[in-house]
Amino acid sequence: MSFRDFGYWLKDFWADFRKEKSGLVGIAIIAIAILVVIFEPLCLPWEETNSKWRSISYWQDNSPSAPPVWTNWFRSKKAAETARLTKGKREMVELDGGVKMVSETFTYDFQADEAPLDLIFHCTGTGENVNVSFEVTRPDGQTIELAQRLEQGLQAADVRLSAENDGRDAAFTFLKGVETEANMSTLSNESLRATHIIFNTARSGMSRDFKPLKGKYIFTAKSMLLDPETDKIDKPFVVVTGSVSGILGTDNMKRDIFSGLVAGLKWALLIGLLTSIVSVLVGVVYGVVSAYYGGKVDSVMQFIFQIFNSMPVLPILIVLSAIFKPTIVTLILVMVIFFWTGPVMTVRSMAMQIREETYIEAARALGASNSRIIWKHMVPILIPYSFADMALSVPSAIVYESSVSLLGLGDASIVSWGQILHEAMEGSAILNGIWWWIIPPGLLIAILGMAFAFLGFAMDKILNPKLRTR
Amino acid sequence: MDPILQIKNLKMYYHTSKGAVRALDDISFDLMPGETLGLVGESGCGKTSMGCSILRMPTPPGRYESGQILLNGRDIIPLPEKEIRKDIRWEKISMVFQGAMNCLTPVYTIGKQMTETLNEHRQMEPKEAKELITEYLGLVGLPGDVMNRYPHELSGGMKQRVVIATALFLKPQIVILDEPTTALDVIVQSQIINLLKKLKKTFNLSFIFITHDLSLEAEVSDRICVMYAGKIAEIAPNEVVYGGDGPAHPYTRKLLEATPRLHQKVEHLNFIPGTPPDLIDPPKGCRFNPRCDLATDKCREEVPPIQEIGPGHYAACWHCHQKGA
Amino acid sequence: MYKWFAVKRIFKGIVMYALLIFIFSILFNSVNETTQKAQIEEQVRMESQRLKGTKAADIQRFQRERRESLYKLYRFDRPLWERIVLRTVNILTFNFGKSTIMKSQTGERDVLTIIGEAIPRTLLLFLVAAVFEIGIGIVVGLKKAQHPGGHMDRTTSMITMILYGMPTWWVAMLFIMLFVYQLKWFPSGGLHTVPPPTGAAYGWDMVYHMILPLFTLIIIGFWGVSYMIRNLVLGTMQEDFIMAARARGIPENRVLFGHTLRTAAPPIVTMALLSLLGAISGAIIFEGIFSWPGLGNLYWVAVQQNDIPVLMADLSISTGLYQAGLVILDLIYGFLDPRVKVGGKA
Repeated sequence: MSFRDFGYWLKDFWADFRKEKSGLVGIAIIAIAILVVIFEPLCLPWEETNSKWRSISYWQDNSPSAPPVWTNWFRSKKAAETARLTKGKREMVELDGGVKMVSETFTYDFQADEAPLDLIFHCTGTGENVNVSFEVTRPDGQTIELAQRLEQGLQAADVRLSAENDGRDAAFTFLKGVETEANMSTLSNESLRATHIIFNTARSGMSRDFKPLKGKYIFTAKSMLLDPETDKIDKPFVVVTGSVSGILGTDNMKRDIFSGLVAGLKWALLIGLLTSIVSVLVGVVYGVVSAYYGGKVDSVMQFIFQIFNSMPVLPILIVLSAIFKPTIVTLILVMVIFFWTGPVMTVRSMAMQIREETYIEAARALGASNSRIIWKHMVPILIPYSFADMALSVPSAIVYESSVSLLGLGDASIVSWGQILHEAMEGSAILNGIWWWIIPPGLLIAILGMAFAFLGFAMDKILNPKLRTR
Repeated sequence: MDPILQIKNLKMYYHTSKGAVRALDDISFDLMPGETLGLVGESGCGKTSMGCSILRMPTPPGRYESGQILLNGRDIIPLPEKEIRKDIRWEKISMVFQGAMNCLTPVYTIGKQMTETLNEHRQMEPKEAKELITEYLGLVGLPGDVMNRYPHELSGGMKQRVVIATALFLKPQIVILDEPTTALDVIVQSQIINLLKKLKKTFNLSFIFITHDLSLEAEVSDRICVMYAGKIAEIAPNEVVYGGDGPAHPYTRKLLEATPRLHQKVEHLNFIPGTPPDLIDPPKGCRFNPRCDLATDKCREEVPPIQEIGPGHYAACWHCHQKGA
Repeated sequence: MYKWFAVKRIFKGIVMYALLIFIFSILFNSVNETTQKAQIEEQVRMESQRLKGTKAADIQRFQRERRESLYKLYRFDRPLWERIVLRTVNILTFNFGKSTIMKSQTGERDVLTIIGEAIPRTLLLFLVAAVFEIGIGIVVGLKKAQHPGGHMDRTTSMITMILYGMPTWWVAMLFIMLFVYQLKWFPSGGLHTVPPPTGAAYGWDMVYHMILPLFTLIIIGFWGVSYMIRNLVLGTMQEDFIMAARARGIPENRVLFGHTLRTAAPPIVTMALLSLLGAISGAIIFEGIFSWPGLGNLYWVAVQQNDIPVLMADLSISTGLYQAGLVILDLIYGFLDPRVKVGGKA
């Protein structure tokens, strides 16, 4: 079939396909998925998710097992959302001795009913002697100097000042100034969060319960650059760690689940499409060759086919993965080795019919070689029939990979949806009711599978007229 | 003599998503008792739909639009399904399908299927039923132990005989035969035809013999009814069509011309140019006009009615009307 | 005719199984042998424990001798192919050896016992589920086939497609979160409560534990069956012999059940059994989620505890069951389809 013929066929096919609304929905979903994969850097809230999934420091500012931000909708007492303040006002003042003082001011509007979990300042510092300090000015006008640090010998290193780690003493000092003696005596330094104090309305009894001090908070980070030529403070930002975070919350290792899912989309598509397309192509060619040559060749090929057909896929997949620890590519290869058997039988019977057609005989009479007949006359006709097969194999491939990853046997260097579910199982997500960890990955597997099912069934309906119901 | 079956202005359309297919578009003919009426036409002209329609079983999405099917003077179209199943279908009118094809359920033995049919219509002891079936199998030339066989164990010819036996054992008045010998080789074909002739005489049956094979019609039919594009083109006695001046309608003439004769020298093959028309949107006027070399403007505008142009000879063609009365 | 067909098929199945096991033996040879050697070491060490009080040099000599004799016993001194064939024969005769760590319910480390306990539990769960799935699937599928393109047909087909890519084990996770931890209606898994009750209550306790996994399997499983039955029945209904049966006056009921369903039975049974087989071999994750101590769960535990002998044996048995299933499938098909049973072209 030439390209022009294929064009006509495609036009006919499309005219029929357009009538199947479910098929269109399927294509739409798949198209969206492909767009997301292409524009992944734009869609990822945490850009380095792919490389830093297993790094602890990348995610350290998040809160663990935090529900998604929108769950606040359903709460009467709004929890604090994790916020990242990157746009600060920079002011540089020159002091005597050529020393420069840089101050970065960030404004934060606190409107939640519950205290944030932490307040963290980051910057990238360079220099022999870098002095950084961090203070909070509350809406009620009071200022707390949370922390101060002198770093030495920095080379573009991350400087992190957090209220919980570095600012407890300052917070407690503030508390002492407001709270009663009696209440103070029942406290120890460990029992109260710094943020519980910082964002609390100043009054006696404030250590007992939290009355949010809502309003504009100003976070100021000051740093002294002793040698302004070489000392630098770059990329300052403040993180207010809330108890709800992200579009889909965080897992127990503080990782943003939405980012993980977006990163996993490309693997799901890759695995699904590559496995199904390659295996179906192999299967079609296998069926055609087997039918074309017939006789001994056919018997041998059928025997080999039976062997592969008799193997239960998942157990073997799992044992292979357990013992040989595959990468994603080897996993796809192994799955292809199982999946190719799918279309062989139908293709073979169809090919056997085509073989008897007179135009094949004519081609042979004209001197066409066997491979030419197979590749130019038989395979192109049968491939459209296998499109439905291809689409319908994708969900199986995705689920198989997820199953293998779920057991912890998948490729640990990539973030796949199965991996995320595996970590959920390890983190006892079911037991702890962390639904935002369990539902989204499986839901995405199901939705992507559904999209390909819609596509495949619509194609099947058109290419297999027996199922038409007029 | 009154006709045993009268089809009056029957319209049966298939309602598909692409439109209404006018498979039977104002068909009228009579069947006399004891005669064989041959129904002839190209593929897709509506003759298969005819068979099912007479049995009041139009294949879905087919529906009767208008017209009557009078069996012994009684219109069977409005009758309830239950009554049709009890009294009409297979009792008065039965059908012989293409036996060599797929018309016997593959998972039941012949005996079981025939017994099942028998039990639907008659109350009989199993022994009686077996006797009856064996008798009829004998009539069609099959041994009794065929009852224990499955359809796939029988040859095409044997299956055809089974189908004939099943169609006859309730002693119907009319038997519709839908391509009973297609897909059989010529020798078996002639055996079956002879068998049918014999049975017709024995049981005094009326046949409607549907086929596309004109030479076969010549052999079995008393009258020939030619269909084209859902309409009747011509009805004529056998001798008129195959002897004498030949048929009147241009289509029938062309059909005859297209059949090469064994004893004539064939220079080139005659054929009818063009393709059968689309039954959803048939041509205006006479349906044959795009392919007819006698077509005039009148043919392209107005539908020619069926008119008697000779004794027992009807044709639907503007040119024929001029010739006739 | 049929008997000959059956014997041939069973024989082919056995040959196929042996071939597969042989392939596995080759594929997993190095892993198996490492484990075996480790087990030998353990045995040698255990035996030398009893020799307390002997000189160090003597102990070492004893160990060396024991090691050599054990190596001889396990044929390590023989060429590679012989070892592989030996292992194949062992597996085919269910000679699985001892596990590395895992223990059966009775505390034994005999792999065959461990697996033997697990098989009936898997079969119990999945066969019961299959009965329900197929039953409901037939009813729904027939209803759909009777009014193709109708409201019910389209809705159920839509749901089937939506659920097509949904992993059953994920739905299990959701159900557990909801019904076990949120609503607290069911236990979270396992075969019984610990310690298991005695007498009649034992049975009821097991049923109680089975309800949620059964429900999950059935509610996800019957859609596919019904869709497939609907298609097969519809396809069969368009055959000429169905129209012929109607023409002969057979009532619609009998046409549907007697002629259509009966003719479609062979492929229906085939597909139903195939999906059952698929479910069982995919049961690995599902059983793991419910901690249902069947064949599938055994994989999970064996992988976690790195118990190679159990893993290998589990694989062999799973493959064997799968093969047996395929053979049974062909036998049933042959029995139901007279074209095979009584010979002739199918």
